Amino acid sequence: MSGPQTSRHAHAHDPDRTIRKRLVCRIAAVEPDDLKVRNATYRRFVELGRAPTVADVAATVGVAEDAVRGSWARLHDAHALVLGDDGDLRMVNPFAARPTDFRVDAGGRSWYANCAWDAFGIGAALHVDSEFETHCRDCDDALRVRIRDGRPDDPRLVFHVLVPAAQWWNDIGST
Amino acid sequence: MLLFRSEGHVDRWLAGRERGAVIPITKLAELAAAWWHDRLSADWQPHTREQNQAILDDLGLTGPFWRLG
Repeated sequence: MSGPQTSRHAHAHDPDRTIRKRLVCRIAAVEPDDLKVRNATYRRFVELGRAPTVADVAATVGVAEDAVRGSWARLHDAHALVLGDDGDLRMVNPFAARPTDFRVDAGGRSWYANCAWDAFGIGAALHVDSEFETHCRDCDDALRVRIRDGRPDDPRLVFHVLVPAAQWWNDIGST
Repeated sequence: MLLFRSEGHVDRWLAGRERGAVIPITKLAELAAAWWHDRLSADWQPHTREQNQAILDDLGLTGPFWRLG
């Protein structure tokens, strides 16, 4: 799961925006037009094997690029995806828009995942067997995890979460 | 959210810092399946906090550390 949630927004001190954001976070609602943009973003990510550009998604949905950017900002606020400070896609969870230490092969394609949880998530989202490469963060030994029918081939490995769940979205990049 | 060879490797990496939560990779696989399985569905809707909490609870990931808020 990257940058503080408010890092790219110039309206952090707008009280109405703060209230709207709290409401969105509580009910996790996404408007239908934003949902279309969200679904197209995910679909294009899978098809392209990389993060789509705003132009890719605008052409897919048939809307202006500004409309896509507006939807992405609202989806970011609703934790439905994560934008970087540049306003481009950073995480379309479980997919990562930028290279990471989690390279996932699934269904004959490859993507980067944001973390170990997301590395498992790509195969789960695609409903296919998968495998990924990463490193033990302690000893730096290479780890290659193969997942067949939802089960990893080496059950000895362990997953460590440093940050409590209530704080995951305080800084999703660090999480 | 990282992988380690064993709990001993986690503790060595932490070097005295407070531990978070450590779960077997098999549990992580179950968690990922429950959390991400619908992400590419055409009729996807955002999970509510309650839905996500239920996923954690059903997998035995309970207690203050695993409370979403």
